[in-house]
Amino acid sequence: MATRMKPADVVVVGLGWTGSIMSIELAREGLNVVALERGKNRDTSPDFTYPKAADELKYGIRGDMFRRLSLETVTVRHGVDDLAVPYRQYNAFLLPDGVGGAGLHWNGQIFRPSPEDLKIRTRMIERYGANFIPDGMTIQDYDVTYDELEPYFDRFEYLNGSSGQAGNLNGVAAPGGNPFEGRRSRPYPTPPVADTYAAILFAKAAKELGYHPYPQPSANCSQPYTNFYGVRLGPCNLCGFCERFGCFLYSKGSPQTTILPALYSMPNFELRAQSHVTRINLDSTGKRAVGVTYVDPSGAELFQPAEMVILSSFQTNNVRMMLLSGIGKPYDPKTGTGVIGKNFAYQMMSATSVFYDKDVAINPFIGAGSGGSQIVDEFNSDHFDHGPLGFVGGGYIIGGQTGGRPIQQLATPPGAPSWGAAWKRAAKDSYLHTTNVVAHGSVMSYRDAYLDLDPTYRDSLGMPLLRMTFDWHDNEYRMTRYVTDRALEIVGKMKPKAHSTLIRQPGDHFNVRQYQTTHVTGGVITGADPNTSALNRYLQSWDVPNLFVPGASAFPQNIGYNPTGLVGALAYFAVDAIKAKYLKNPGPLVPA
Amino acid sequence: MADSAQRLPQEAGNGDDGDNRRRTFLKGALAAVPGALFLGCDTARLVPAAAAAALTGEGYQPTYFTPAEWAFVNAATDRLIPSNDDGPGALDAHVPEFIDRQMETEYGHGGFWYLQGPFHPEADFTLGYQLRYSPRDLYRAAIVDINGWSQKTHGKDFAALADAEKDKTLSQLQHGEIALPNVKASEFFIQLLANTKEGYFADPMYGGNRDMAAWKMIGFPGARADFADWASKPGQVYPLGPVSIRGEKA
Amino acid sequence: MKRRLTPGRVVAGLIGLGVVGVGGAWLIAVLFGGIGGDRSAKLVQPIDQKLIARGAYVAVLGDCSACHTAPGGKAYAGDLPIATPIGAVYTSNITPDEQTGIGRYSYGDFERAVRRGLRPDGSALYPAMPFPSYARMTDADVQALYAYFTRGVQPVAQANRRSDIPWPLSMRWPLSYWRWLFAPTPASTSPASETTDAGADALLARGAYLVEGPAHCGACHTPRGLGLQEKALTAQDGAAYLSGGVVNNFVASDLRGDAVTGLGGWSEDDIVEFLRTGRNHNDAAFGGMTDVVSHSTQFMTNEDLRAIAQFLKSLPGEQGEARFAYKPAAATALAAGVVSTRGALDYLNSCAACHRSTGLGYAETFPALAGNPVVNDADPSSLINIVLNGGSMARTAKAPTRFTMPPFADRLSDQEVADIVTFIRSSWGNNASAVDAAQVAKLRQALNAPPPAAER
Repeated sequence: MATRMKPADVVVVGLGWTGSIMSIELAREGLNVVALERGKNRDTSPDFTYPKAADELKYGIRGDMFRRLSLETVTVRHGVDDLAVPYRQYNAFLLPDGVGGAGLHWNGQIFRPSPEDLKIRTRMIERYGANFIPDGMTIQDYDVTYDELEPYFDRFEYLNGSSGQAGNLNGVAAPGGNPFEGRRSRPYPTPPVADTYAAILFAKAAKELGYHPYPQPSANCSQPYTNFYGVRLGPCNLCGFCERFGCFLYSKGSPQTTILPALYSMPNFELRAQSHVTRINLDSTGKRAVGVTYVDPSGAELFQPAEMVILSSFQTNNVRMMLLSGIGKPYDPKTGTGVIGKNFAYQMMSATSVFYDKDVAINPFIGAGSGGSQIVDEFNSDHFDHGPLGFVGGGYIIGGQTGGRPIQQLATPPGAPSWGAAWKRAAKDSYLHTTNVVAHGSVMSYRDAYLDLDPTYRDSLGMPLLRMTFDWHDNEYRMTRYVTDRALEIVGKMKPKAHSTLIRQPGDHFNVRQYQTTHVTGGVITGADPNTSALNRYLQSWDVPNLFVPGASAFPQNIGYNPTGLVGALAYFAVDAIKAKYLKNPGPLVPA
Repeated sequence: MADSAQRLPQEAGNGDDGDNRRRTFLKGALAAVPGALFLGCDTARLVPAAAAAALTGEGYQPTYFTPAEWAFVNAATDRLIPSNDDGPGALDAHVPEFIDRQMETEYGHGGFWYLQGPFHPEADFTLGYQLRYSPRDLYRAAIVDINGWSQKTHGKDFAALADAEKDKTLSQLQHGEIALPNVKASEFFIQLLANTKEGYFADPMYGGNRDMAAWKMIGFPGARADFADWASKPGQVYPLGPVSIRGEKA
Repeated sequence: MKRRLTPGRVVAGLIGLGVVGVGGAWLIAVLFGGIGGDRSAKLVQPIDQKLIARGAYVAVLGDCSACHTAPGGKAYAGDLPIATPIGAVYTSNITPDEQTGIGRYSYGDFERAVRRGLRPDGSALYPAMPFPSYARMTDADVQALYAYFTRGVQPVAQANRRSDIPWPLSMRWPLSYWRWLFAPTPASTSPASETTDAGADALLARGAYLVEGPAHCGACHTPRGLGLQEKALTAQDGAAYLSGGVVNNFVASDLRGDAVTGLGGWSEDDIVEFLRTGRNHNDAAFGGMTDVVSHSTQFMTNEDLRAIAQFLKSLPGEQGEARFAYKPAAATALAAGVVSTRGALDYLNSCAACHRSTGLGYAETFPALAGNPVVNDADPSSLINIVLNGGSMARTAKAPTRFTMPPFADRLSDQEVADIVTFIRSSWGNNASAVDAAQVAKLRQALNAPPPAAER
């Protein structure tokens, strides 16, 4: 029998981005908040101060920040009738672990989605006709509009001291920014991080083709900044150790650099690290959460009673917790009914290495996780006419690099072998003169792409692993071909000596050995209808109204942009509704 | 290959002097890899100075690898990144030392990987690594397999092959053209090449990248991690050499 | 956590004196040691919430929790070890617990302890307790403090721990002599010092009261004499007052108006900001001052911080220093990757990411080294100390981010630290003496800092 802990007003499962936002906002309402984090506590000091942060092997290669797969992983298969096997080594995507979650080792790419991304089904049908959406594609609208979310995008950006250049200030075009972006109510809190040389070369080429390159929106502060919680961030120095690393300069936005210093000062907040929640407990009606069961570092099982549960772990674990707790109807791909596990989506990338002659000093080690790059957004969202192209979605094209860490980021020109004297010569000759152009593309949701519990494989606690059933679809092959061809036109204008492109071709299976993005989405999706979504617009469970599930698990399909801006905005949108409405009158915020 | 599977005798007492340890090692090494040092037409090129030093016990002594394994790792990494005028080879960079030390870490023991069964090594390549082995077990199993194949095919261990034969063998391993009894050849090659490049380019505190020579060769400034002054000078050649986490400068 | 306080050495010296002392000295001390104050004094006014609240604020002004609350321990239950060369002494339980705390103290007992350094039995407190400064506290403040500690604080049953000082060094009677020699007799204080609403002079008086009295700034920032007494206890006592002291291998910097090594370059606003947040546009608190900000100054009222700032700015400089003038040569060279100056490459490798090639850092974030009083101090101890051991800013309500400098002892050799410190002290317009490896080695040993990894 689990030991019963002192009841809390709110229990937060996972202290990453959304758990931190929910915790501080609800603690500031005077509620007693207990956060249970299965990983370790960690902070800039002592965990990733300089110089130990600049350790490619430990963080970039071994993945010290990620959840040890020996403890827990997912299984993967391509089709509903295939055997799923475990994802045994990290490559394609990275599962976070510990305080800060993925918000600690992201790059800081802090995009907003385009307004039409949130109403994609309606938009596709209105502009291209009902038949434009292929069979089996299960995309859905959000039940919230860009304009409703605008204050919350703004809030998340101002939380992070984000750097960037506005392109649409209250409907007025702002030079130098993204002309395709939705209306923003005010400029970015800090100006763009300085462009790297590669970004300058990319932007020049893009302009020659008539495009509108703009500085990448970035949660790498370009100058010191104090946010609305009083927490101060430092300035990015383009150190080249960003994604997969903690930021020793306090510059990259993370819970640690934006929220936790203020949260930790609050007496009504308590963090329990290395406390692994195993299920959400419901009362006998199954309509109300009464708390969570968790395992503490000693292995003891404890019960934390709470009036409200925030399930704010990573996307995969959010889905798994819902399934393990028996909340919501599991999705069935045969019938297309049920909601938990439905609409799993991902992203599809192509990457082009661009090789210059020795007189072009790219200095690839000069890089920020997101600042310092340039973006072409012409072929993302519905910024272009999809009609003749026959696919839904798109992607942005980015020029620049995040660093030149040689184990992971060194590229050799086409034709060079992967080892031997010729490889070494190629590495020596090209390292300083190489950059990247990436097409960062969306993935739609499909009837046969979903998540459920694996029947065979278990985690270190003996609980079933999450099973991922996923493969690419024709729509995405067409999308990436089209956007990549546009990217290659820009590369051509950059006049490199050579280039080589990694692209997913029709027939290529989803390959877990190739890093793509960590942007796995869906499974506990938000929507307007309890029959087709797990959460209402406020990320509140349709089935258990005192449960809220923020995070990318709420995305009904994936966007071409990086997801964190939308994740943060939805969390703030939800917590504002909790504060303004739910706390006064606990119950469903949207009638089912 | 019973001899190669034998572990190097480890001295336990405090009273052992260095000479004694070296003699013990030499004896084991000679017994295990007679061909590696003394056979072949061009011994000098076959075993560059760094490897010779390691093999004769003057430098690093492996903790995990047996003499036969150590000979394999030295010989294989030496071909993956050969020493020449372009820059250091894997042996100059002490890549074998790096790999041996990694075998003793959480990583080497498989702490970073999911290693619960059932195992389906026949699964599609795109579904990733599906062997039962941790890194250290993979080396142990694969080297026995490869030396067994090499003995059968060439009459000698891999380490005793001529360079061209080693390269051909490595290429065949890479492309899965050699069927090994216990280990998928291409899977081991992926592991070996990855660890070799890690040892070549990782911070020197892990035992490889000796003198930061691999960083110097390509122009990577190592752990400097501060380029605020250089963002405003796009396209200029960066003038400074690398620094390591422990503060070594070059 | 252990703190090493200079008063420990006071104890050592005095005990030595005492041990060789004659029996007469002992007799006098025993017969007259307890004289002072009135044990039977009672608090006449009723203890109400207002008085308790005032007392709580006085406890903040006096930074009582810094020593009487051990990290992780119950509030004011004591037991914080204070290391001395002859053994640790432990702070006492000052909660109102009747058995182990001060629950049975009369007001007179309390007043004698706070202002006169006397225990109820008449023996002397170790001068780790800053009673020479508290002697200046007003009756009203001490009364409020008594109200707070007897009625506003939760009693905690936790017995006081005996000091680790062995007998005969543990005898307390020689401390009476120190007290007689160096601690002032409390006098009635002017009402002006308790108020801030009587104009500029009143503000200045209030500042003097706070700094010289409850805040006991001189305990660290005033140099000590042969008896290890503070050379000056007030501004009136002379130019030594707050001219800088040495504590725990740190230099507690000059708080007088010296242009470069003191507060001459700081505005009142800079001082207020520093005390409220532990940082300002060009500097940050480190070492023991971090605790002072965390426990005490961040909670002071704006008026009191303003008063302190005004008082400190009223203390003239004594060093005849010219105003700091920034010189860009070092910045220009560093930014271009020119590292021919000794220490420049080491500075780029270990320091420049935060403090920048300009030596200016970033406001409220990474302290400026150019023109920094600590950097320019004749004694480089603080600079060496912080390079070896690092430091964290205070976490304050107004500025919760604990920007932290990591320790570099395991990355830099003594020579490299010396080169860096010398480079910093002679770049961007800084003009302080060079430092050699021997100084670094000495401090590395004193701080118990590890040797560099490359040498292990």
